[in-house]
Amino acid sequence: MEHEETESFRRMWARAGFRAEAKAAWAIAINIWKIELSYPLSVLWFIVMPFLWFIPMLITGSAVAGGTESAVLNDLVGTRDWVTYIAIGTSIIGLTISIMWGTGFSLRREQNSGTLETLMSTPIGRSTLVWGSMLHNLSHGGLGVILQLGAAIIFFGVTINAWGIFPALGIIALAVIGLQGVAFAVTCIVLLAKQGWMIVEFISSGLLLVAPMSYPLSVLPPILQYVGMASPLTWSVEGFRGFLMNGLAYQGVVQAVLTLVILDMIFFAFGALMFRYTERYVRAKGALEQF
Amino acid sequence: MLTEDATPEAERIKTPYLATFKPRLMDWSAAKVFALKNLRIAIRYPTNFLIWGILPLLWYAPYILMMIAIAGPGTSQSFTELSGFDDFITFSIIAVFVYQYVDKSIWSVGNNFRWEQFSGTLEPLFVTPVPRISILVGAAFSDTLQCTFSATVLLVISSVLFGVSYAITMVAPIVVMLTMMVFALYGFSFMIAGLILVFKDPSVLTELISNITYVLSPITYPLQALPSAARFAAVLVPSTIAIITIRELAITGLFQPLSFLQAFASMLGLVIGFWVLGVLAFRWGEKWTKEKGSMGGF
Repeated sequence: MEHEETESFRRMWARAGFRAEAKAAWAIAINIWKIELSYPLSVLWFIVMPFLWFIPMLITGSAVAGGTESAVLNDLVGTRDWVTYIAIGTSIIGLTISIMWGTGFSLRREQNSGTLETLMSTPIGRSTLVWGSMLHNLSHGGLGVILQLGAAIIFFGVTINAWGIFPALGIIALAVIGLQGVAFAVTCIVLLAKQGWMIVEFISSGLLLVAPMSYPLSVLPPILQYVGMASPLTWSVEGFRGFLMNGLAYQGVVQAVLTLVILDMIFFAFGALMFRYTERYVRAKGALEQF
Repeated sequence: MLTEDATPEAERIKTPYLATFKPRLMDWSAAKVFALKNLRIAIRYPTNFLIWGILPLLWYAPYILMMIAIAGPGTSQSFTELSGFDDFITFSIIAVFVYQYVDKSIWSVGNNFRWEQFSGTLEPLFVTPVPRISILVGAAFSDTLQCTFSATVLLVISSVLFGVSYAITMVAPIVVMLTMMVFALYGFSFMIAGLILVFKDPSVLTELISNITYVLSPITYPLQALPSAARFAAVLVPSTIAIITIRELAITGLFQPLSFLQAFASMLGLVIGFWVLGVLAFRWGEKWTKEKGSMGGF
């Protein structure tokens, strides 16, 4: 009773609205950055990761193409420059994995640290915990995209169209909405199955397989092509690469953006609803802190 | 008072096991017990065997699909000139199968003590009077058995999906070469286990080692595709010679005694080298961690 009368408690209890939640999400994002940066090996991994993922693809491509051009790829997608095609397409892998795994497992991480129940009892929106983690992973993964593209331009002769940079960033913003829906769904799996990493691994690896990052959808078996077309990641990659390779002259812009917006709405609404009901269900069962 | 309940020193010495106990370099019965314990846990989750036979396919299929997108289905002149093989899909799948053992040695055996730490059993395990290496050998043996099952599932599924086939008549020399590689990998994983005891954070260190090993391994490209400096480093990875030899045997179906013996001798050198290096690195890691008092630290 006594602490209810204090000024700080009244202010904390009265906090509400978008600004207050955004501040809380920002604090969570900064907290995760501080933890990550306190492990020197994590920093080293963060810097070398984009190269280590891209290099085997580059060597594999060089071994089969024998140069920097591919006539087969030209027939499939209209560009001979396979290095640029793959470098731009795969640069989003880090961002995607970061959002799906980092955000999806954010509550599990707090649980392992013993801070989940404490966080859940603070007067912030439940989903703010997930949004905060997403904010961190967006900045983390986003820096990875810049690092990989920068290295690809400097070391591997990749060229991008400068006019396409801002529209490509717009595509990333749209991609994040759809991926946040997936991250909410992953969080639900983690809340219910606790470990659940194997299910998440299947979902994330499956989404990456059917996304046209280092190959067009047309090389996939027909059934996987349909699955790919229903994934927001597919259209994010297509739009992002389309703008960075062709600039404002990118011809598939209407199809990519429209499809991405529609899929974003479906994935986000589905994910957010799933999270809302799962979180309530788990709390009602008293299973929040169970391992 | 703790001192009142504790067993007096004189009585403890009378315990038959401790009375006859002598420090040994290797305790095979402890290794067997540990292997059986790990296998018993693994069998409790039978779907894991199947999942680990399918999951790697999702990681390696993008490479094969990318090769198809760049060079067309199955073959390219550049690849044939570089590797001496016509079909890059057949070329890659057998290497993916062999590489599963490397992956397992890094992620499973190398991280074994970290998983024990997460289970809260690391410190009790370290006060048992058995050589640590025997615990690692036990874990490695159980992982080899699990990996053999999962990798075989992966090979069968991949062969069906991509329509490739290999010379079944070469099973005997392939098994010999695989066994040599597995022994070399044991030493490699002891080294990683030592590093993980020191550095703790397993995810990042393991990811780094795993990715560097993957880049250096001639899985989806021949060794000749690597820059010359990387080629020398690649030969030091325990799986490189094994991948090259096994691939040659499985695809061509020809057994050439001289080149096989050369590969065998090289693998023997790697087995000895990695065991010496691995045991020394692990002992150093253990000593360093104990001196720092950070054995149970996260």
